[in-house]
Amino acid sequence: MPVPTAGHTTESLTTWLAERIALYLKRRPTEIDPDVPLAEYGLDSVAALSLCGDIEDDFDLVIEPTAAWDYPTVHALADHLVAELAAQDGGA
Amino acid sequence: MLIGTEPRGAVEDGPRATGQEARAAARVAELERRLGDPTDEHNELSYARLLAADEAGELSAAGERALDELGLGADFVPRALGGRLERLDTLVRVMRQVFRRDVALGLGYGVTSFMAAVNVWTSGDDPQRERLARILTGGGKVSVAYHELAHGNDFVRNEFEARPADGGGFRLHGAKQVINNAERADAWVLFSRTSPAPGSRSHSVLLVERAGLDPDSWRVLPRYDAVGVRGCHLSGLRFDGTPVPGSALVGERGKGVETALRAFQITRSALPGMAVGTTDTALRTVVRFALGRQLYRRSVMEIPHARDTLSGAFTDLLTCDILSLAATRAVHLLPEQTSVFAAATKYLVPKVLTEAMHELSVVLGARFYIRDGEHGIFQKHLRDLPVLSLGHAGSAACQATIIPQLSRLARRSWFSDEPAPAELFQPRTGLPGLPYDRLTLASGRDALCATLVAAVDRLPDASPEERAVQGLVLQLVDELRQVQEASRALAPEDRTALAGPAVFALADRYAVLLAAAAATGVWQQAARDGGDAFLADPAWLAAVLHRLARRLGRRPADLPPSVAARLHEEVLRRFRERTSYDLYDTPLAG
Ligand SMILES: Cc1cc2nc3c(=O)[nH]c(=O)nc-3n(C[C@H](O)[C@H](O)[C@H](O)COP(=O)(O)OP(=O)(O)OC[C@H]3O[C@@H](n4cnc5c(N)ncnc54)[C@H](O)[C@@H]3O)c2cc1C
Repeated sequence: MPVPTAGHTTESLTTWLAERIALYLKRRPTEIDPDVPLAEYGLDSVAALSLCGDIEDDFDLVIEPTAAWDYPTVHALADHLVAELAAQDGGA
Repeated sequence: MLIGTEPRGAVEDGPRATGQEARAAARVAELERRLGDPTDEHNELSYARLLAADEAGELSAAGERALDELGLGADFVPRALGGRLERLDTLVRVMRQVFRRDVALGLGYGVTSFMAAVNVWTSGDDPQRERLARILTGGGKVSVAYHELAHGNDFVRNEFEARPADGGGFRLHGAKQVINNAERADAWVLFSRTSPAPGSRSHSVLLVERAGLDPDSWRVLPRYDAVGVRGCHLSGLRFDGTPVPGSALVGERGKGVETALRAFQITRSALPGMAVGTTDTALRTVVRFALGRQLYRRSVMEIPHARDTLSGAFTDLLTCDILSLAATRAVHLLPEQTSVFAAATKYLVPKVLTEAMHELSVVLGARFYIRDGEHGIFQKHLRDLPVLSLGHAGSAACQATIIPQLSRLARRSWFSDEPAPAELFQPRTGLPGLPYDRLTLASGRDALCATLVAAVDRLPDASPEERAVQGLVLQLVDELRQVQEASRALAPEDRTALAGPAVFALADRYAVLLAAAAATGVWQQAARDGGDAFLADPAWLAAVLHRLARRLGRRPADLPPSVAARLHEEVLRRFRERTSYDLYDTPLAG
């Protein structure tokens, strides 16, 4: 899966997250409704921690391991990541 | 917030370390003395009496009285709150004396309360800590009520509700099942849903005291009969709108899953090693039998297969104690890394202990099937032991905690991390206090495997035993390399609980490597220190690594014959001198 490099938008992150989560759950990305809580799809709490690890590695961004608990849908998480990435770029 | 009196960060040595060790050894000796020789039939806590209580489905009353007199509840309470808890490895050592005699008593008197209390030490406020400390030091009990039959290990879907009510309190609705001591505890730690939303922010932990509750709105559910730990009081609780005050909330609302996962790191590190005492008794029972029974004009002990089985069980006990030691001391020294160590310990230790019991049962022969008499305790321990695997996260659920972390460990830690500090592997060295606030949910670091990797260049090769160790370490490091490659290659769908069976096998291999790494670390420190002649000898390490390598499906070269001879001699010595089959060689009452 291509990792977006720069110019992240809510859309690009939404696509990336839906693809990644679909892989975790053995579903098609189109099946992941960005406004349905990930737990509804069976993404358990420990796997949600692992998702945050993947995000850290692929985007080189430090986030709370529990970010996917606090922002429990694809949309919510994408918005959160855009804000974090902007803060990081601005702060660096 | 930090609980405990010791300064955090630096590891102490010198006189204060001696203080911790002296206190630990004295407490263990005090328990041994009070509980007495279990093979003496005049002792009210003899195996025969404990078996009779089990047959009657009761916890031994004499046992509970003895533990009351010993004030065992205080061993679960931090020193700063008036208790004796300062080190997790010490708690394991103390509880082992109870688990030697009766798993049901260990669980039913104590461990349940400890599991409940850890939630409050980890996330509670000062008044809650003080209340709980008062209950436990006063001899009271606390239940830990997580489990609901409908959801098992999938506790994020639990339904038991604490509905926020007017005035900041809650109303309890629903049921908890298979809860130890539910009907006699003074308080319960209730894992409760505080929001209907799905996910990991919808539960909270409540500490609810029985006194003062509206008696018409709750009841205790009927008791369950189990195959083992038959004396334990397993029942359930049902609430129908029972009001509780807002001060019952432990930690923040919605942070229950986080509180639980933190507390689990402590309890899953500590519990399994307590049962080393249980398998120790099983080994001791079979040694006694093997020395006394004459067949083919010799004792069973002279039959090579029997002798080998006994030495193998001793080797397994050392392995289990070592992984338990590393995991419990890691909570103090490497709190950021304990999430995988705790899961690996909870997965592997009960499994190895249970397998050792089954191998021992072959030597005991038909006697292992007899419920009473001299060997009756064996079948009781064999029935009781699986509860360590079943309760508090099953084996597969522990593997499922490791699996999502494998790819990260492979990319970031293995072959690049710093080795663990020497103190991690020194059973008698002092430790800083328990840093509850530094436990993290997922780490991506592993200083234990780094210790194994670093050992490659440092191991001596003067004697045949040392050369055997060196060859084994090389094979195990090669195995780590393979686990790393496989973990790196894991597809995303193999990084959750839905992973394929081969990934569960990968988690198993990793747990075995952690045990091998810890054993290597323990030997290196013991050899440097030299104070314990047996632990300083590389023979036991060769035996441990050889067994672990075979467990991994490797076919290591045969060990020099001196290794088997050394272990056999030690099995006999510890039987005759009545000392424990673990790292501590503790004097026993019987
Ligand atoms: C003697 C005894 C005392 C107990 N005391 C207490 C107590 O005091 N308080 C309390 O709260 N509970 C208590 N329990 C309940 C105990 O905590 C649960 O039984 C335990 O957590 C596991 O539930 P389960 O066996 O129903 O497993 P389930 O969750 O139903 O699992 C069934 C099987 O599904 C698979 N599985 C489950 N989860 C996963 C996963 N994440 N990944 C992969 N596979 C998985 C495994 O093969 C597992 O064995 C006690 C149980 C016993 C036996």
